[in-house]
Amino acid sequence: MSEIKQTEVATTDKKEALAEEKDWAAAKAHFENLKSTKPRPPKPKYAVTIAVSSRTLFDMVAERKIFEEEGLEKYVQHQQEHENEPLKQGPAFPFVKALMTVNERLRNLYPDSEELFDIVLMTNNHAQVGVRLMNSINHYDLTIERFCMTGGQSPIGYLEAYMTNLYLSKDSKKVQEAIEEGIAAAIMFKPDVESQLSETQLRVAFDGDAVLFSDESEIIVKQHGLDTFFEHEKQHENKPLAQGPLKCFLEALGKLQKKFYAKNERLDCPIRTFLVTARSAASSGVRVLKTLRSWGLEIDEALFLAGAPKGPLLQKIRPHIFFDDQMFHIEGAKEMGTIAAHVPYGIGQKYNKGKLIEPKQQK
Amino acid sequence: MDDEKNCTGPLIIALQYNDLFDLDSMSASTNTDDALPKGRAVTFIKAVQIVNERLVEQKETESLLFEVILIAKECSEEIKMKIVESVKYYGLEIGKFFFCKKEELINTLQSNKVKLFLSTDRDDVCEALHTGIPAALLYDQCDDHVLKVIISGDSIGFTEDSLDSLSDFGFSETQIETFKAAKICMKEFAVLIGQMRRRFGRENSPLCICVLTAWGSTNVCASALKTLRGWGLDVDEAFCLAGAPCSPILAVVKPHILWDCGLHNMRDLATQS
Repeated sequence: MSEIKQTEVATTDKKEALAEEKDWAAAKAHFENLKSTKPRPPKPKYAVTIAVSSRTLFDMVAERKIFEEEGLEKYVQHQQEHENEPLKQGPAFPFVKALMTVNERLRNLYPDSEELFDIVLMTNNHAQVGVRLMNSINHYDLTIERFCMTGGQSPIGYLEAYMTNLYLSKDSKKVQEAIEEGIAAAIMFKPDVESQLSETQLRVAFDGDAVLFSDESEIIVKQHGLDTFFEHEKQHENKPLAQGPLKCFLEALGKLQKKFYAKNERLDCPIRTFLVTARSAASSGVRVLKTLRSWGLEIDEALFLAGAPKGPLLQKIRPHIFFDDQMFHIEGAKEMGTIAAHVPYGIGQKYNKGKLIEPKQQK
Repeated sequence: MDDEKNCTGPLIIALQYNDLFDLDSMSASTNTDDALPKGRAVTFIKAVQIVNERLVEQKETESLLFEVILIAKECSEEIKMKIVESVKYYGLEIGKFFFCKKEELINTLQSNKVKLFLSTDRDDVCEALHTGIPAALLYDQCDDHVLKVIISGDSIGFTEDSLDSLSDFGFSETQIETFKAAKICMKEFAVLIGQMRRRFGRENSPLCICVLTAWGSTNVCASALKTLRGWGLDVDEAFCLAGAPCSPILAVVKPHILWDCGLHNMRDLATQS
């Protein structure tokens, strides 16, 4: 059976389990009756659930301005008046479309499997704004059938209730809360220039330290400098690094990749993963590769930059999303057209371009 | 807009005394002079009282208020006394008491123009829905001071044909009929609670209305939201599950009132806490 979900919801209550089966049967019935060709969403406990916020899926910059300048009532009214006008695409849009492409391929190879991507719209908006969001989803023919409009409440409890594997939002506070609760999460940024992304392959790029791995090595660099860092890494080459917030998401991607390999589709696999790290291959890179191996994880391409800027390389890779813990790299990626997502984790948050951010300055 | 014309308050809610007081937890050693131990409905009544207070704060002569009536089936004289005393003891504002026989329940509800019958007993709720009385489940709510109501998006958003086709998937005729009956009953309640909700702004409201679509697609939920809006009810929160399990969401929302419509007849609320 699938082990994609780390948190197994133990339904020890028999009646509860029976009720869930009834819910599932009714949903199945409904979707099979629909005249459209929309596929029905997978069972959450077997799926890789990605929760996106409304501002990452759609471009709501103008609407946000109305909210900030004129207040909640005017904002909701505006959304209702423009209900039938579809919203423009946001930074997570290409990522979501790529997830749908992978699902299509998976359904072809494994028609009865529930191990698919499950996309949930998780938004703080009031339900009245929901109608415009749903109309926009239909307009672009996105397969998003699950959503949660919390009407102002924090979405964190709901993220767990929907068994979320990855949460993308524009709100840094919510993302930080999610990471503290152990849910992989990142703040999305729209790139300054547009690039042409693959429509047949989902491409995901990760930074290493404080994203896939913990920030233990990062701490050494910041507090003791690079030389100490290189020495330390060489000495501990065979000791695996601790996990970082996005490790589970890489793992989930890996499990889906294996399903393609099992059907001889390795060369044509619609998921490709990249490691883009400032470490250098010669000195500190080995530990990273050995750690991944010890976790039983594969990464398709590992790129060691030895401190060179990430922007140009990412421009060549063209990922649908790039995760990094340092704003400095996020800015660099954005400038050159890469969709970047900031992971607010670890010691990197207290530094800006290598200098410690003095808390006194904030007064 | 002249709210006076629309309003046909008060919004009468009926409860049964065994939901108000937890008689099962009383043992032989319980002091008979003490008030009856509190049941699930006490938190509900306190939340309702807060809504009433806020409504009156805004308009002293407000007539669209909640009114709670208590029904007790088959009680001894002793218990009747204890009920009245305990209600006073806990400071619960209960408009009327009805002591009746088991068979008289439905009549009592109908003759008092009850706008909502709340019970933890699913069978009672189904029976009431069948006879056209709006009924919903009194759920395991939180202590939050906000009265939370969940309305079933499936029952409002689904079309007649989709409902009939459910019989192919193991749902009985009775269940499907109860479902259809629920939609009709729900309208009057929705109109009244919608008016009440509009007395407050979007933020800091002591009343929160949610729509939960358990099986339908996004279109079913959108249809439900538009229908409710047409009835004058602007919903605050919306959840669409497309078959995902409901209980984790309910555990986060913790509503007081859950319009369940009887299709989940396997769930026994009394064992969940």
